[in-house]
Amino acid sequence: MSSTGQLTAPASVPAPRAVPARGAGGPGGRFGSLRQRRTLSFYVFTGPWMLGFLTLTAFPLGYALWLSFTNSDGLSPNPRFVGLANYREVLTDQTTLDSLARTGLFTALTVPLTIAAGLVLAVMVNQPLRGRGIFRTLLYLPAVMPPVGAGLTFKLIFDRDSGSANGLLDLFGVNGVSWLTDPYARWVLIVLTMWAAGNIMIISLAGLQDIPKEILEAAKVDGASPWQSFTRVTLPLLSPVLFFQVVTGIIGALQSFAPLFISLDASPQGMASVPQDNFLFMIHVLTQYFANGRYGYASALLWVLFAIIMLLTALVFRLSKGVVFYSVEPQAAGKRPRTLGGK
Amino acid sequence: MVFPRRTALYMLLVGLVVLFLSPFGWLLITAFKDASELRALPIHWWPHRPSLGNFQQALSFWPYLGYARNSLMLSTLYAVLATLASAWAGYGFARLEAPGKRVIFGVLLSTMMLPHIITLVPTYLLFAKIGLLNTYMPWVLWGLCGAPYLIFLFRQFFANMPKELEEAAIVDGCGQIRIFWRIFLPQSWPVIATSLILSFSWTWGDWIAPALLLDDDRTTLAVRLAKGYFTQHGEPLNNLVAAGTVMYVVPVLALFLIMQRGFVSGIATSGLK
Repeated sequence: MSSTGQLTAPASVPAPRAVPARGAGGPGGRFGSLRQRRTLSFYVFTGPWMLGFLTLTAFPLGYALWLSFTNSDGLSPNPRFVGLANYREVLTDQTTLDSLARTGLFTALTVPLTIAAGLVLAVMVNQPLRGRGIFRTLLYLPAVMPPVGAGLTFKLIFDRDSGSANGLLDLFGVNGVSWLTDPYARWVLIVLTMWAAGNIMIISLAGLQDIPKEILEAAKVDGASPWQSFTRVTLPLLSPVLFFQVVTGIIGALQSFAPLFISLDASPQGMASVPQDNFLFMIHVLTQYFANGRYGYASALLWVLFAIIMLLTALVFRLSKGVVFYSVEPQAAGKRPRTLGGK
Repeated sequence: MVFPRRTALYMLLVGLVVLFLSPFGWLLITAFKDASELRALPIHWWPHRPSLGNFQQALSFWPYLGYARNSLMLSTLYAVLATLASAWAGYGFARLEAPGKRVIFGVLLSTMMLPHIITLVPTYLLFAKIGLLNTYMPWVLWGLCGAPYLIFLFRQFFANMPKELEEAAIVDGCGQIRIFWRIFLPQSWPVIATSLILSFSWTWGDWIAPALLLDDDRTTLAVRLAKGYFTQHGEPLNNLVAAGTVMYVVPVLALFLIMQRGFVSGIATSGLK
C-alpha cells in the first residue's frame, strides 16, 4: 500500500540508452577495455540485488516446492517424501476448495469495484476545480493508513455495542447486528477494501494527466459530447493504466489476509477467529502453517496459489490484447508496465 | 449553465470526503471517550467528557513505547539500507550496459509482480533453520538487497539524467563507483526522500513479517497493537484500542501529509527530461 501512487508520474518511458562510449573515436583497445569495465561495473552494481533475489526469493520458492512433496511438520528432522499426495489433498480438501471459491468471489467483486470507484474519483478530482489538491489528498489519505490501523478502526466502527454503524441503524429504529461475524463480516471486509480506493484514484489520475490535451480538444472540435470523448478517447488511452491495475489488483486480492485484521484475535495463531465468510485462501494457508504445523501441505497450497496467480496474470495479458491500447509500443517484449502501481 | 454543475460536483466531492474521512473521525471520537461513556446506550456521537486519559493508559497498559521503539528502529534500519541499496542497483540498471541486462531487468520487473507473501513463509522456515528468528537480521538482509519497486524508481530517475555528467567524469578518470557516489547520488535527493518515506511506512505498517519472525518482546507496534487491549477478564477495552491506534497511525499519516510536497516536487523533477 502506502503512497506508491504518488510516484506514477515519472514512469514516462525513458529514452533508450545510447551505446556507451559511442563517438569516443579512441583506439579500439581502449574502447574494448571500457566496455569490459562497464560490464563488470554493471554486475557490481546489480549484484547485491541479484544475490538477494536468488537467496531470498528464488531459493525460498524452490524450498517451498520441495516441502510440498513431503509431509514436513517443521519439527521432525527427516520429513518423508510423499510425492503428489499433498496436491491430491488440495483437490479433495473441502476447506481448501471453499476458501478458494470464496477468494475468487472476493477478487471478482472487489477488483472491478475499487477500480471503477478509483476511476470515478480520479475523473472528478481531475476537473478544473479550486482546491482539488485538497480533495485529492483527503480522498487518498485512507490508502496511506497501515492495514492494522485500518482494521482496528473498522472493528471500532462495527463494534456491536459501541460502534457507529449500529448507532446509525439505531437512529432509524433498526436493530443493530454483530457486524464482525457471519453473515455480515464479508460486507465489512468489502467496505474496508473499498476504503483504500484512493490508491487507484491517484494512479488513474496520473494516467489522465498523461493524456495529451490536443486529442481531447480535437474530439471536442469534432463535436464529441463529454461522454463520447470520455468513452472513445479517454478510456482507450487510459486502458494500459487500468489494465495494470487489474493485474496488480488480482494479485493483491488473491493473497489478501486482511480479514485477520478485523477478526477477534489478530495473531498468527488466531486464524480460527476469522469468520467463515471471510476465511480466504491465504488465511487457510497460514492456518495450516501456524495452527496445524502442516508445512508440507501448506507449501503445496502456496504453490497452488502461486500457479493460479501466474496463470491468471498470463490470461489477463492475453485477454487484454486488442482491448488495451498502447499509444507507444510497449518496450522490452511488452512486459514493462507504462505506469507503476502498488507494491 | 456551468455554475450549477460545478456546484453539484463540489457538493458530491465534499460528501465523498466526509464519507472517506468518517472512519478517522470515529476513531478519534472513540479515543476521547472514557470506558463508561463507551458503554452508553444509545451511543454518544460526541464525547461528553473528553479526556486524554485513554492515551496515558494506552501507553502504560503494556509497554507501548518499547514496541514503538522496536518499530522505529526496524523501519529506520530497513529504510536506510533499502534506499541505499536500491539507488546502487538502480544506477546499474540505468547507466551501465552488460550482456544479459535485458533478461535481468525483466526478472526485476516480474519480481515486482510476485506475490511477496508466497516467499515469506518459506523464508521464515529458512531463517528459522539458520537461527535468524527473533533478530533484526532478516530486515538487514532484505534491506541490503534493495526493493524492486525502489530500484525501478531510482532507475527511472538516473536514466533521465544527462549523459554529459558521467562522460565528463569518465574523461577525468573517475570510476563508476565514484561517479555514482559523487555525482548521481547527491543529485537524487527527491527520490531518496521518496524512497525513505515509502520503505519506512512499509515496515511501520507491515504485520506479517514481524508476526512470523519476531517474538513477543522484540516485535513491532503493529503486531502488538493488532492483539488489542483486554481486561483481566478478557473484555476488550475499545477506548484504549482507539487511543493506541491513533498514536500508531499519526506518524505515518503526518509523514505523508508533510512530505506530499516533496513527493510532488520529486515527480516534477524526475518527470523533466
